[in-house]
Amino acid sequence: MNIKLTKNKLITTLSVVLLIGIWKLVSLSYGSELILPPPESTLVATLKLFIAENFISTVGLTILRGLIGFAVSFILGIGLGILAGGNRSFHAFLKPILVTLRSTPVISFILLALIWFRVDMVPIFIAFLTMFPFICTNVIDGIKNVDRDLVEMANIYRVPHHKIIQKVYLPAIVPFIFSGASSAMGFGWRAIIIGEVLSQPQFGIGTAMQTAQTYLLVNEVIAWTIIAIMISSFFEMLLRRVERKIVVWR
Amino acid sequence: MMNLQIKKLYKSFDDIILFKDFDIDFSEHTISCILGPSGCGKTTLLNMISNTTQPDSGNFMGFNDKIISYIFQEPRLLPWKTVLENISFVLDDSLSKKEKDSIALKYSQLVELEKFNNYYPSKLSGGMKQRVAIARAFSYPSDIILMDEPLKALDLRLKMNLIKAFRRLWQMDKRTVIFVTHDIDEALLLGNDIYIFSKAPVEIKRKFVITEKERSLHAPSFLKLKNEIWEQMD
Repeated sequence: MNIKLTKNKLITTLSVVLLIGIWKLVSLSYGSELILPPPESTLVATLKLFIAENFISTVGLTILRGLIGFAVSFILGIGLGILAGGNRSFHAFLKPILVTLRSTPVISFILLALIWFRVDMVPIFIAFLTMFPFICTNVIDGIKNVDRDLVEMANIYRVPHHKIIQKVYLPAIVPFIFSGASSAMGFGWRAIIIGEVLSQPQFGIGTAMQTAQTYLLVNEVIAWTIIAIMISSFFEMLLRRVERKIVVWR
Repeated sequence: MMNLQIKKLYKSFDDIILFKDFDIDFSEHTISCILGPSGCGKTTLLNMISNTTQPDSGNFMGFNDKIISYIFQEPRLLPWKTVLENISFVLDDSLSKKEKDSIALKYSQLVELEKFNNYYPSKLSGGMKQRVAIARAFSYPSDIILMDEPLKALDLRLKMNLIKAFRRLWQMDKRTVIFVTHDIDEALLLGNDIYIFSKAPVEIKRKFVITEKERSLHAPSFLKLKNEIWEQMD
């Protein structure tokens, strides 16, 4: 088990090294900072961003937008998901809405939101529209996957209805909520940044990337990308930790 | 002693007639075993008694106000609850938490799981999980315990262990037990009354009554009985 773990870690490291190696080679072959800067100068650019004057507001506001969008999606997704999971008619009503939301290109939402909303609201709206269907769908799936045998057992033992919901259904959907939240976050961060690029709020990673691109600062565009990846992985890790704390029975 | 009676029972699924003008009596405070080929409707009978399946028609007499515990083929434990919590889950909420805990504790001790009180089911073996299910059934203040081949998935040694645990609990608290199985040994070790069911539509081919308290599969009287039962089975 332990040997296998170290072996996998080794392979992961190898993959990262290979990726950086290819990057270095390609940048050498172009030989131009304007097209593809080498990894080391990008690293320097990334570190410089951390001490740039508006770094905190830029990153902070992007994260804040993401969290607001996530919170709204989370609450509505679980609420509506539970209703739809427990009621066929409501599920039939909600289904086309969820399918539409999931299959609409993110850019359509953005272009419409740009017309409809204030600039600051656009990324939050986009975050909500991309994250909500993931969480809601997962909650519905979770309820459908609740072990009927356990519900039957509880009914035979005349366990009251509210206790069955609380002690049988809710714990059963917790893992589904987490996996929904995790996919939602994965898509959400990307969507927010696209939203920021196009709506140009005063501060935001998307805004900063757009500015860097305008001045052909390729290393800065990549540097912001790296920061975006770091934010996304940080929240992914956080979710996993919280899940391990809550789902202790596995 | 009041008996539990089922009269003129009819039940079919699609084209299969399981019960047709079927009568059976169960003595109270007795372990009744039902032996029969698989698919003959044994489980359906239990489900009709527990009200999870509706009969097409028939009279169930003496069952109305009875409270029922059920030990299923699978343990059916809540994965997110520990041994103790799984037992107290079925207990009435009008009891205080302390009362429920002490009941759960008592029954986990009776099935010799007190060292595992705070374990989640995923950390228990199949036999231990089934013992929790037995403890849950007895901790619940029921009149009737229904058992649907709860030992099916277990090996012989665990089976004997569980049968011992079950008999010990039952000796202290003689509830009406209806136990469905297709294993003759289980019926000989546990049953007071043994009913042999035919293939569907079900008829009772024969009823055996065992009065001995000490059970041994190697005793000559049991071997003889086993042969007689064997001859009745399809």
